[in-house]
Amino acid sequence: MGADDRRYAERRWTRRALLRAAGTGAAGAAAYGLTGCGLFDGDPGPEASPDPLEPLRRDAFRLAALYDAAVVAHPDLAARLNPIREAHLAHAKALATVIGGASSAAPDTAAPVAPGGDAKAALAELRAAEQDAQRTATQLCLQAPASRAALVGSIVAARACHQEALR
Amino acid sequence: VSGERRRARVMSAVDDRAIAVLTAALAAENAAIFAYGPIGVRLTEGAAAQARSAEAVHRTRRDALVVRLTDAGAAVPPAQPAYALPFPVNDRPSALRLAVDLEDRTAAVWRAALAETTEADRRDALAALVDCAVRATRWRRAAGVNPTTVPFPGKPA
Repeated sequence: MGADDRRYAERRWTRRALLRAAGTGAAGAAAYGLTGCGLFDGDPGPEASPDPLEPLRRDAFRLAALYDAAVVAHPDLAARLNPIREAHLAHAKALATVIGGASSAAPDTAAPVAPGGDAKAALAELRAAEQDAQRTATQLCLQAPASRAALVGSIVAARACHQEALR
Repeated sequence: VSGERRRARVMSAVDDRAIAVLTAALAAENAAIFAYGPIGVRLTEGAAAQARSAEAVHRTRRDALVVRLTDAGAAVPPAQPAYALPFPVNDRPSALRLAVDLEDRTAAVWRAALAETTEADRRDALAALVDCAVRATRWRRAAGVNPTTVPFPGKPA
């Protein structure tokens, strides 16, 4: 574990520490992407706050599921879409390694609606989903500690390339 | 803010490791600009235009790096008069292959820069990684390579 990892681990505050700091530390919490969801609603776990890269992993699974649905609806696109689907699963796997802990299983994602209409519309929907996911990943890359920046950067770039490959 | 004060402030914000990766990025951009010369002459029409616009982006990034390093008070190594190509470029397929190769290499250098940079420098490095990776995808498509994408752009194989 490098110095960056250690510093980063210290940032992943416990729920108690977060609540204690809530009075004065709201800006600090926001800086580490710990705003809103998961803090006071739901239960992210007994002690640990969710990893900042958790949304990235969730998006990777969600995108893989969207590609699954698109291939079912448009089997002729399979050769084009399957490598991209595999890339999202590879991202999820790499992120699970970095995030660690008990959350390495695929999360329950709502069953994605198969992209409707013709193949062209399906590709456009996938492109839009990739674009949204790229935006989320970009923010996370800019905030990431040194030890995680390269992995997250590759995921940002992959999502951009997928949009190009869907044209 | 006077030039001197600006320089002092910027220098304090940039550490040696950031300077090292930005200097490496400068070398990679100069090599990419050079390589688009032999690539361009082997391509026609759309692909030739694509090579010209790719080269222009690399020049813009190179110029920005020169300014950045100069502002930080760091040395700015000049471009070499020539760079060794990894294989001979004598037709369209080899030109397209080199274009993919050089964008992949440049992407790798920018990816490596992410860990050593913060704030605006990291933002620039990420933007550069993204557009190198996207150009590599376009060149793979032009070359008929499938798939056109790689799972982790810029990651050393």
